[in-house]
This record gives sequence, C-alpha cells and structure tokens, in this order.
Amino acid sequence: MKPSSTAFAFTQERIVIAITLALLVVFSLTLNSFLTAGNILALIQNVSILGILGVAMALAIIGRGIDLSIVATMAVSVAWVLQLSNNGVPIDLAILMGLGLALAIGLVNGFLVAYVEIPAIFATLAMGTVAYGFVRSLLLDDNLIYLKGASDTWFKWIGSGQVLGVPNAVLLFGLVALVAHAMLRVTVPGRFLYAMGDNPVAARSTGVPIRPLILLQYVTAAAIAFIAGVIAATSVDSVETRVARSNLVYDIILVVVIGGVGLSGGKGSIRNVIVGTLMIGVLVNGMTIMNVPYTLQNIIKSLILLAAIVVDSIVNPRDEQTSQQGDI
Amino acid sequence: MSDNPVLIEMRGVTKHYGGVAAVEGVDFTLRKGEIHALLGENGAGKSTLTKLMAGVVQPSAGEILLEGVPASFTSPADAMRRGINMVYQENSLVPSMTVAQNIFLGDERFFNKLRPLYIAAQQFLQSLNFNVDPWASVAGLGVAKKQMVEIARAVRQNARVIVFDEPTASLTPEEKHHFFALVRRLKSDGVSVVFISHALEEALEISDRITILRDGKLVISDDRSKFDRERIVTAMVGRALSKDLYGDETKTRRKPGERMLSVQNLSMGKVVRNTSFTVYAGQVTGMFGLIGSGRTETAKIIAGIAKRNFLHGGETRLGDQSVRYRVPRQAVRDGIVYVTEDRKVEGFFDTMSIAENVGVGHIAAGFNKGQVVRTSEIVAIARGWSERLAIRSINADARVIELSGGNQQKVVIAKSLVQKPRIIIFDEPTRGVDVGAIAEIHQLIERLADDGLAVIVISSYLPEILSLSDRILVCQKGRVVEEFRTEDATEEKIMYAAVH
Repeated sequence: MKPSSTAFAFTQERIVIAITLALLVVFSLTLNSFLTAGNILALIQNVSILGILGVAMALAIIGRGIDLSIVATMAVSVAWVLQLSNNGVPIDLAILMGLGLALAIGLVNGFLVAYVEIPAIFATLAMGTVAYGFVRSLLLDDNLIYLKGASDTWFKWIGSGQVLGVPNAVLLFGLVALVAHAMLRVTVPGRFLYAMGDNPVAARSTGVPIRPLILLQYVTAAAIAFIAGVIAATSVDSVETRVARSNLVYDIILVVVIGGVGLSGGKGSIRNVIVGTLMIGVLVNGMTIMNVPYTLQNIIKSLILLAAIVVDSIVNPRDEQTSQQGDI
Repeated sequence: MSDNPVLIEMRGVTKHYGGVAAVEGVDFTLRKGEIHALLGENGAGKSTLTKLMAGVVQPSAGEILLEGVPASFTSPADAMRRGINMVYQENSLVPSMTVAQNIFLGDERFFNKLRPLYIAAQQFLQSLNFNVDPWASVAGLGVAKKQMVEIARAVRQNARVIVFDEPTASLTPEEKHHFFALVRRLKSDGVSVVFISHALEEALEISDRITILRDGKLVISDDRSKFDRERIVTAMVGRALSKDLYGDETKTRRKPGERMLSVQNLSMGKVVRNTSFTVYAGQVTGMFGLIGSGRTETAKIIAGIAKRNFLHGGETRLGDQSVRYRVPRQAVRDGIVYVTEDRKVEGFFDTMSIAENVGVGHIAAGFNKGQVVRTSEIVAIARGWSERLAIRSINADARVIELSGGNQQKVVIAKSLVQKPRIIIFDEPTRGVDVGAIAEIHQLIERLADDGLAVIVISSYLPEILSLSDRILVCQKGRVVEEFRTEDATEEKIMYAAVH
C-alpha cells in the first residue's frame, strides 16, 4: 500500500505553476516593459480566446473524448453570423442562427461518437472538415468575412469593449471558466462526465446515461467554441475561416494537456486549463517582447510541453509497482 | 523432497515501497523439482516476494542466493536468462499474434521464415503434450490455453523455476485438472514451481511445501504433510475463522419470499439459450456453472448491461410486470443492480475516492434532487457505507486503486447498495479478495437476504455456493439445467449437472 500522498506532491500542474512563476520573475527582471498593468492585461487578453477554446476542449477530453472540429465550428458559425448581418439580417437573429449552426455541428459530433460509436478523434476530425467545406461553399461568399453590418451595435462591444479597465475578452474567459468549473464540480452532468472519462464501462453499469451525456459534452463544447468565436471576431472585426486549417487546434490541446488534464480522461479540471493558458501566455508575451522569431517560439512551446510531461511521468510514475499497489 | 538440492535461497529479504515494507526479513528456500505454494491474505507480500525472485523488483535489504551463490537480478530478463520465469495473472502474450509466434517471441531469427517456426512450435507443444494449435491466434484462446502458451514459452527458455501468480483464478475445474497435471509433469522434469493461490484446497492438493506470509513477514514454511485447512487459515489470518468461512452445514435455509424475478426462455446469440428460472425475495439464489455456461451473460441481460448486438428473445418479469432494459440505467431505476466479477475493468472509478465512487452510484440512481450535487450529503452517505461494510483505507481521500482487493470489492458493493436495489446480482463476489474480507462479504450477502432482498450469487467455487445459497441453479451451455434445494445438494451432484 502506498503511503498517502504528502501535503505537497509535485504534480504536473504544480510544476507548470512553478515554471510560470519563474518565467514571470525572470521576465520582470530582464524586460522593463513586462511587469506593467497594461502588459499583463494584454497578455491575458491575447490568450483568452485560446483559454476559452481550451475550456471547451477540456470538457471533451475529461469525458474521454476529444474535439478536433472545435476551430472549424468556431470559425464557420461566427463567419456565418457576420455574413448574415452584412446581408441585412438583424444581429440578434443572426447570432441565434450562428449559435444554432454551432450546436448542430456539436450535435452531429456527439451523435457520431455516442450512437454510431465512432472514435471521437476520427468523428470530430472528419466533422471539422465537413463543416468547414459545407459552410464555406454553401453559406459564405469568401474565406475572410468582415464585420460590417453590425459594426456599430452592441455586438461589436463584446470583443472590443472593457469593464472597469479590464478587457471583455479577459472577463468572458473568467466567466466561461467559472461556469464550466462549477458545472464539472457540483452538477450531476459534471460528476457523470468524470465518471465516464474514468471508466465508461463502469459508469454505464452504474446507471450513468452515457449516450445523452456524450451528446451534451460535444454540444457544450461547440457552444463554448461559438462564444470564443464571437469574441475573436468582434475584437479584430473579421473572421478568417481558413483558421480551421491552421494548427490552432494543437495549441488548444497544448494548453489543456500542459496544465495537467489527462488525455486518457477523467483526470484534471478547468484549473489546469487556466494554469496551462497563463503559462503559454507569459511565455509567448515575453518572447514577443524579446523579438523571438515565431518558429523558435513554437519550438520552445513544444519543448516545454515535452518537459512537463516527462517530469510528470518521472515524479508520478505509472508502472507496474504503482498500478498494483493493492497487491503487494 | 527435503533431500533435493536448494535452488534459490532468500535470506532476510526486505522490500520497501515508499515508507511501507511490503516484505520484511523473509527467509525462503526453493528446492530443485519441488512444488511450493505461497499463501497469504492480499497485501501479505506474496506478489512482492515472487517479484524479488524474478528480478522485477530489487530487495532493499537481504540477499538472494542462486545455487548457493549470491545473485542479484537487475531485470526480469536477467532472471530469465538464469532460468527463473514468471507467469503473471494478466497474460503477457501478444493477442494479435499466433501461438507459435508468441512462443518464439523475442527469439526469432532476422529472416523469420514462418513454416519452420510453426513446425518447431508444433513439435515443441507436442513434446509437452499440450493440445494447442500453433496457428491459432492468441486472442481467440481460452484462459487455460493461454496459460499453456505462457508455460510453453517459459519451458522453451529452459526455465528451472516457474513462478505462477494465481494460475487457477480463472480456470474451470476441468482446466484446473489439466493445469495440475502439467505442474506435476514440470516437477518430474526437475523444474521447480512456485505458485501463489487463494484456494487452500489447491495448495493442499498439489504442493510439496507451503509457505505462509502475513503482513509481509514469514509465518511458517513447512512440508505439506504438516498442514491442514485449519492450520493454514489460522496461520494466514492469525486467528481461526474457517467455520464462518465455508463450514457450518447446520445453518437453516431461508424460505422463499414473493417472486421477484422470473425469466422465461431468455436467449442471446449462442451464449444464452432459452433459459428460464425464478428468483425470490428474501433468499440467496446461487448460480453455478463452468466458464461458458452463460451465467454472467444471463445476469448482464437481466441488468440491461448486455448490448443488444444479437437479437434475444424471451421475457423477463419483474414482479408481475414484463420488463426489457436497453441500458443499465433503466434496470438500476427499477432496483436491479449487478456487481461485476471484474472490478478493475468494469467496477470502480480508479481516479476517484471512495466517497466519489459511492456518490456516482447515488446520483445515477436518481437520488440527488435537482441537478446540483450536495457534496457534503454524499460524503456523509459514503462514510455510513464505509462503516457498515468496514472499508479500510489509509485516509478518506485515498483513491480506490490504492486499496486492497477486498476493500475495492467492498467499494463496488457499496456503490451498488447505495442505489437501494430490490434484486442484487453478485458475480464472483470474492474473486481476488483476501480471506478476512471473504468472510465479511459473505456475512453481508446473508444480511441482505435477511433484509428481504432477492440476492443472486454467481460463483465457480462450490463451497461458496453451498454455504451461501438457499437454493442453487446450475447452468450449462447457456441455460439453467437443474435446480437444487441446498439441503439436497452436494458438490458432486452440482458438478454432475454442470458438466452433463
């Protein structure tokens, strides 16, 4: 039997927090423009879209799934909103239709995974391409859609406004994270999601409604992706749908995994996503101030991810000894 | 036996995991060509001792002598080169490969021609008198045959010592006979065999010497002739309790209460064929059958767990109402729960604490009002069940994977009982559970029946069936073929019905 974990265990999450704090200290001492209220807010604002998408991805991953269609969902649904409003549809109706599109994509994802029983990685990979292709060819005029029709309404304020000096993007990241955290911790679907991610067979036998839960999981992820898309579109006044073809989805998985959410499901929480997001934010911000080239930034990011995973597997080994603790 | 030369001698070996000693100062000798049984409760240190022997872990203190020369094995491969092989409970075969490929795995030539390989495998298997097709893929083999392949592999590597970790846990009685015959043949070839077991009869039947561990320390190590059941159990648990385990023929059997469940002509594919039986409230219905008799599958259909891949006909009546469940959730809501035989794979949630596990059961049964979970309420409920079932853990937040087999089983049972079932199905309730917990689980099962629940106990272990059940159903090839009142049943009668 293993001695109970000590008060302070070196989990991956804590390692990442330590690295983040170390980076903060180093950057504050070496870069004189780093530790200013403006820069810190800008730093968080820059990663808040990534963070919100990370929350959506975390929901999928905790339930032992993954949603690779998340960027496509975000891009095409919000691009359609802009297109509709540019064509004269009132903005609130356009938002509802765009949200409906996002939810529909999530619903198809969930249906494929839950009822057709296709592995999530294939179902969502295919669905991302299908959604992008269909919406781009049938509903959109161009790859790049500008925010014109609703540029002087409250809609524009969502991504560009601020409350008490704090950018809305940051506030919304906090709000989405808080709601998702509460949902996971204290609601029935949240507890079920952890149970399903931990052991789907046991969860099913115990009476957890697995299939409706998977539907809920992907629909919620799509809804959160839509929120992220709205913030992104209204802060830069446009949507570039080709982002669906970029490697943004890997960055999202990066912030989720680096904070300590286990890809095997059932492990981790929204807190891990926030930790991962902040760490990437600090790193990218510091490197940008230092004028580190974009390619090198990517290399450094991925090396840090590797390091975090390696350190975690050294301090928390999963070998025969630890997996069979009950049987010594 | 005692004149045979000593092959392995362990002197005062100690192994610490973290701060806890798994084995402490144990002396152990293994002679050439002997069958040595290693007994003890879960957590007694049996597995660790054999792992030390096979080089899987290294001792923190003490020394291991191989033929009188101090030896330290740096890895299992190192120990294997010196002729010490271990056959694990979990198979270490590659399922997608054929039997022959598995036997020669890691030992192939660079240009691996298949034909000579199969011919060699065929000859080798024949020389061992194993009836296994070398062309068969391992995935399709039964447990016993898989074990034969593992043993063939070990023998081919010129093993002088073969360590079996619970070799008979998943074997049917007839497969067990084959296995014992094989072990005796190994012995006559001069191979030493160490085997870990929970079944005392086996140890008494087959071994030359018996070593018993308790709490990581050596209790006794002696020739088999010096032991009987009573003495082994006393040594294992440090107290005499065999009467409350399987004995006591004189207890009164419960009368059937109202009819809870009646199954008529239930069928699913080739596994369950046209089976019919009835289960009454307030008594324990034992269900015995060999592997492949469809016991587990029948239970899983009743509890809605079996997916409907094959059409299955027939009717299940709960009380007077005809029911047919598509998902376990509906069965759980109707008060039918199934406690699995394979708790690691389909029983508990291993990243969760005891309270969280029990909590999932509570919520899934629909006892949580509204959508917000009241954590404090669940912690209180879980604490109540932990006390009632005497679940022992280091602290309340310990994850279930860290508990011993018996305590894990109790968590799975608590997770089901919290759903307030009317019918509870235990599938092999004491498999991989230590002796102390077996008694507690048996008492619990009796208590549930006394409280008026309809209890079904599926077991391959006849003494367990006979001591627990008020009536006994015997399954064979997918259907219930015989029903006994326990007063009339004997091990022989039941076995006769199960195989004919």
